[in-house]
Amino acid sequence: MSFRPGSFAWLVAHDLRLGWRRFRSMFGKLRTTTVALIVGLCFAVFHLIAWPVAGWFASLQTMPGGARLYYPALASACLFVMPWLISQALTSATRALYSRGDLDLLFASPMPSRTILGAHAVATAIEALGSVAIFLVPIVNMNALIDGPHWLAVFPALVATALFATALGLCITLALFMIAGPRLTRVISQIAATIIGAGFVLALQAVHVLPAATRDSIVASIENPQAGSLFDRNGWLWLPVRAAAGETTDLLLWCAVSLAFFLATTVMLGNRFAQSAIRSASVAPKKVRERRMREAKRFRANLGSSLRRKEWKLLARDPWLVSQILLQIIYTLPVAIVIWRSQGEDGNIGLSVAPAIVVIASQIAASLAWLAISSEDAAEFLATAPVAKAQIERRKLEAIALPLILFIAPPILGLAFFSLWTALVASIFCAAAGASTALLNLWHPKPGGRAQVLRRHSQSKLVGVMEHALSLLWAVGMVLAAVGSWLMLVPAAMALGLLWFNRPGSGKFTLAARAA
Amino acid sequence: MTELQSFDAGHQTPALRLAGLRKTFTKTAVDGLDLTVKAGEFYALLGPNGAGKTTTLRMVAGLLQPDEGSIEIFGVDARRDPVAAKRITAWLPDEPMLYDKLDPLEYLEFVAGLWGVEPAHAQKSAIELLEVLELWPHRHELCEGFSRGMKQKVALAGALVHEPKLLMLDEPLTGLDAAIARQVKDLLVARCRAGASIILTTHILEVAERLADRIGIIANGRLIAEGTLGELRELAGQKNTSLEDIFLELTRTMERAA
Repeated sequence: MSFRPGSFAWLVAHDLRLGWRRFRSMFGKLRTTTVALIVGLCFAVFHLIAWPVAGWFASLQTMPGGARLYYPALASACLFVMPWLISQALTSATRALYSRGDLDLLFASPMPSRTILGAHAVATAIEALGSVAIFLVPIVNMNALIDGPHWLAVFPALVATALFATALGLCITLALFMIAGPRLTRVISQIAATIIGAGFVLALQAVHVLPAATRDSIVASIENPQAGSLFDRNGWLWLPVRAAAGETTDLLLWCAVSLAFFLATTVMLGNRFAQSAIRSASVAPKKVRERRMREAKRFRANLGSSLRRKEWKLLARDPWLVSQILLQIIYTLPVAIVIWRSQGEDGNIGLSVAPAIVVIASQIAASLAWLAISSEDAAEFLATAPVAKAQIERRKLEAIALPLILFIAPPILGLAFFSLWTALVASIFCAAAGASTALLNLWHPKPGGRAQVLRRHSQSKLVGVMEHALSLLWAVGMVLAAVGSWLMLVPAAMALGLLWFNRPGSGKFTLAARAA
Repeated sequence: MTELQSFDAGHQTPALRLAGLRKTFTKTAVDGLDLTVKAGEFYALLGPNGAGKTTTLRMVAGLLQPDEGSIEIFGVDARRDPVAAKRITAWLPDEPMLYDKLDPLEYLEFVAGLWGVEPAHAQKSAIELLEVLELWPHRHELCEGFSRGMKQKVALAGALVHEPKLLMLDEPLTGLDAAIARQVKDLLVARCRAGASIILTTHILEVAERLADRIGIIANGRLIAEGTLGELRELAGQKNTSLEDIFLELTRTMERAA
């Protein structure tokens, strides 16, 4: 594909190429053909998985009262797709505004800023579309096959939704920029993107946690909506849902609205985007207020405390990093809730949540250890210090204990409220699990930038697998210990064995890691 | 004065003595290098790109293991006792190694902690350094917002705060504006007068010409010429020529020989 240099399409292609390279980098060193093969395979598998979903949709038509569920089901799909797309747009706009160089170059060129923003927005919409398409296209395809071609209306509706969400994401970013200023915007929008992206998962869980009566009333109001209420199927909020359902006028209207919004945003905000980019480059260095009193404070120069305090400061001053670490908790929550619900309404909440806490502890410990050991900003500098490497590493492991305790203490305290015994067992297993995954990351450092903390496993899948295996074993051991079974020694011994297998200098692991 | 100093220094333990130093990656980067830098000397290491300057200094700093040869820093065998050698050495690479989320004062406190400098003393010299380098007004700003020149100055302050006896700088003046470069040069000369030994690599020949007591020219991982500017002139067989001419002449001869 080659476009006339300097043209709009050329610029879009440029942006897309960068996007593709970012995507590629998530697969580490795999070859392009391998990546394409993996993506293709996933696509095929998703089609198979989508088969029963399509069957369920088709059966709604014949099921008594089933037709009423059709729109709510589509609506929840919209609720899933829309935040995802918006969070993609937020991430992309923030990346564009703050990953310097690129935008400096573009705005220094004689291209109108409108074209630059427009091309960037189109590329963002396409990328975001691609990321949902891999899940949605199989579902729609299978439905169209089983339930009828009216399902194909989802495709234009989806494109319109992508345009709408991208424009909305851009507006949010630039509004934040105006209100909160360039420095805060970066953090806020990164965290917002994360939360919005995880929003659907959270919302779904929230519904599950709600008391049965509230849940029933929500279902009731969805089934028999009052005119003008939030759940009124004919209200404007439901326009994208009706469009996806293939109601012709609504589909056309939704496409028109989205396109107009998108065009208006790019045309009107082009200059503002350029100004924001320039402002973000000239952000005044941050002065931290609470450190004014530092003048009077004396230097402390104990080696251990120097290293510990350095790690803590770096973590405390990077709210985005903290949010990424906390995100691991969100991802672990559904598991805990599934276990809890599987035991019925009066299940033992302690026993279902406690293993999840152990898993969280091991994951957070692994992240923190990776941040301290592998993602050291000035590794070479530390290497020139008159301190043995082992000593520095030991201090760093000490340093991560405090943040780990801070992250884990609230859920453990909550657990203690239900059962003191379970909380006690859980804290012991949290310590063991945390220590084991931290050691794993110490023994097998995989250098990378701090921002990569949640994607650190793309460097070595094997370390990732080991990490998960360790956390699972400790979690299982914890459950057995909590019910007082000596069988807990089995998973604990297996975890220790796994750790022994991974000890430094054990040739097996290095060989396996090389093969992986 | 320079000659007198180096005469005296001749009787002392050298600041750095490299013997038969060798390092091979895919090709040989440092090829049996012998080099001696006297105590209190300002030594400039010149050489074309890829000559092995940085590799050599990285081995001295303990960042690379040499394949062969010995490294002695003020009589301390750096290969046998790296911690003792590091205690009296500072290494300043061309890319400053800093923490984005620390401010200059915190960074210096951290460095002082690593080198085990007595806290009150470290604080005093940290403040002095920040003032001399005109970083004092920025002491509570995080390094992430600094320009390259400012980062370079913070890193330099970090290298000096533990008062190393041997200071090694890799291209310390690249990318600095004239005013900052001047500050850095003045600071280095002052340190050298105070007794520190300084080795710097540079592409700016004028810097070597004006600052260095002795100049070593390195090519293909070997020392091909060494001496004061006057001695190098004689070696190149040219009178009253600039270091640039000498440098080009010597490296060209070397290439022809190779």
